[in-house]
Amino acid sequence: MATGRRSRLELVFDILLAIQNKGGKIKPTHLMYKSNLSHKLLSQYMEELINKELIMMEEFQVKKRKTPSKVVVITDKGLGFLEEFRRIREFTDAFGL
Amino acid sequence: MYQLFTTPQWFNGFDLVFESLGLIIALLIATYSWRIYKISKENKFAYFSLAFIMVAFSLLSKSVAHAILYFGPVRENVAGVLAPALGNNLQFADLFYRGTFFLQMASMLGAWLLIFFVSQKSRERLKRYHEVSQIALFVYLILLVSIIANFKYFVFYLTSAVILGMAVLNYYKNYLNNRRNKNAFRVMVAFMFILFSNITLVFVFMFSGFYVVGEVLLLLGFLLLLYTYVKVVR
Repeated sequence: MATGRRSRLELVFDILLAIQNKGGKIKPTHLMYKSNLSHKLLSQYMEELINKELIMMEEFQVKKRKTPSKVVVITDKGLGFLEEFRRIREFTDAFGL
Repeated sequence: MYQLFTTPQWFNGFDLVFESLGLIIALLIATYSWRIYKISKENKFAYFSLAFIMVAFSLLSKSVAHAILYFGPVRENVAGVLAPALGNNLQFADLFYRGTFFLQMASMLGAWLLIFFVSQKSRERLKRYHEVSQIALFVYLILLVSIIANFKYFVFYLTSAVILGMAVLNYYKNYLNNRRNKNAFRVMVAFMFILFSNITLVFVFMFSGFYVVGEVLLLLGFLLLLYTYVKVVR
């Protein structure tokens, strides 16, 4: 188990990984639990990731509900970044950064 | 002509090739680390990139000084280029060689020190004021060692070896903390090669053949860093 505070890069990696592990789509509440972040912090990061087109929000209609539900979807660019992050993590692990 | 120490004649030129390879490898690592810095905005990557740029600069300084020492035509060309500024009677005075060797030593020692600091597993490394102020003290000591090493060259390799020894310890801890990651092991061994290279170079005054051994060990260290880099980035 990882110990200590996660860096900004690790947080982004964990968010994207959580979405990918759920087949590319995840509900925001589930993402909050999976990435182990507070609502406020997750919202900040999600806004940044949406601006960078790494993730996007999709809405879908659920029966018995008036308002549509939202899911977070990882984009192709996000998947590419995830691969890049894996390499970065290998680099930081190797060089003790 | 001024020389730090005598090197085997037959090896003249080979060391330039070795150092050029080291320079390219150092620049590759520096570039990738800078790329990570641009993505993450974390200072440690910028410092790590700076450290390898300093390694590259040091190797470049050494190559330039040695190329001018070894080869007459290079010496004449450099004199020709500098003639408009310095006149036709330019002599490659001791001061020139001492200057380039000083640049080589100061940047190399600075690079190893920066790598040592960055490889420390402290959360706030190089962020707090007192850590940065400690570096100012180290910069002074590095400059002092680089000046003294121009008269007693082994002071440079000895200081390098001490800093590298501490960095190798950090990389050993990193290897253990990363569940014995193979790449972390390779980086540790690469720095061990560079450390042994520096230890060998301390004793060149006893036997000039040690220069060849030291340079080969340095090359092996850089090649292992390249191998790790390729494994990680591919």
